[in-house]
Amino acid sequence: MSFNIAAGGLAPYLVLIVFGFLPSEVWRWISVVLARGLNESSEFFIYIRTVASVLLIGVVGRLVLTPAGALANVPLPARLGALAAGGAAFLIFRRSVLAAVLAGEAAIVLAGWWFVR
Amino acid sequence: MMPDVPDLSIPVSAPLDPAFVRRWFVEGVRQAMSGPAFFVAVAMIGVGGLAKVAGFPAGAAFLSTLTIWAGPAQVLFFGSIAAGVALPAIALSISLSSIRFLPMCLTVLPMLRTKRTRTLTMFVAAHFVAVTVWAESLRRLPDIDRDARLPFFFGFALACILNTAAFTTLGFFLTAALPTPLAIGVLFLTPVYFLSTLVRNARSAIDWLAMAFGLALSPLTQAYVGGGFDLLALGLGGGTIAYLVGRAYERRRFSA
Repeated sequence: MSFNIAAGGLAPYLVLIVFGFLPSEVWRWISVVLARGLNESSEFFIYIRTVASVLLIGVVGRLVLTPAGALANVPLPARLGALAAGGAAFLIFRRSVLAAVLAGEAAIVLAGWWFVR
Repeated sequence: MMPDVPDLSIPVSAPLDPAFVRRWFVEGVRQAMSGPAFFVAVAMIGVGGLAKVAGFPAGAAFLSTLTIWAGPAQVLFFGSIAAGVALPAIALSISLSSIRFLPMCLTVLPMLRTKRTRTLTMFVAAHFVAVTVWAESLRRLPDIDRDARLPFFFGFALACILNTAAFTTLGFFLTAALPTPLAIGVLFLTPVYFLSTLVRNARSAIDWLAMAFGLALSPLTQAYVGGGFDLLALGLGGGTIAYLVGRAYERRRFSA
């Protein structure tokens, strides 16, 4: 199998659909079939939601503990510190996600400026 | 047709009033544009830059968000092609990373379903489920009237996906120009937003335990489980433990 993406035309879009979209989308299709008998107040529903939450926390953990790209320039204590800044803003502004994101972002951009200048 | 699920909360009534549907669709758009649609969009700016590096046209960057609609899978796709990985291997790793949509769709779709919902509608709804839409739906849908949930969801999700597709395309043209501190900010947006959303969503002991076990076990699975299976192992292992411990705790508290 070989596609020349640089050649342009339809090839890049075909590669995107066949090797990017379909392998990912198949899980959404399967879930529609499986969700048919699932009731949102059932114990299994709560279990599945817990699995999904842990998966998401895993993504967060990976991005903070072993970051890729430019974020790796900021040392771990500073990355954790920026999360703590977000947490503090979250509490001060009565559980506001927006405040947490803005404070965390301000802290990490400041740290980025400090460590890479 | 849906098989009959004995759920008394599902109303059986006449077709919905178009004005009602429109109102809730617009409300979904409004709530998305007041924050979430921008968090996910800015976080995906980098994907556009990756697409350019991998030799794709700008249209493919735009389309990747409309079709794949999964940050990690899109990063994998463009990053692996840029690195010269074989296409079947790329497809496999993308499929592994997107298994998380299974539990996520399974927890959103039953909240959206009513007696009159067609299966095709569920397939369309499932396509829009990604982490941001999932987390925000879990928080917002329970407070919304069941008939209003689908139009709200479609408004919310469409605003998120279209805004993100626009930002992905923007990233295609400007990533190289982004100063390093701002590039760092873009990369940090996903963890800080997801973490605060999870904390905001947490209601029961199980929710808090999911976070505790997820954070504690994440470095372990990352170090000892390879081949792209680490997140899956973390979700199933940590999720099972959190569920069992949480249930045992609640039983003790309520029977005491």
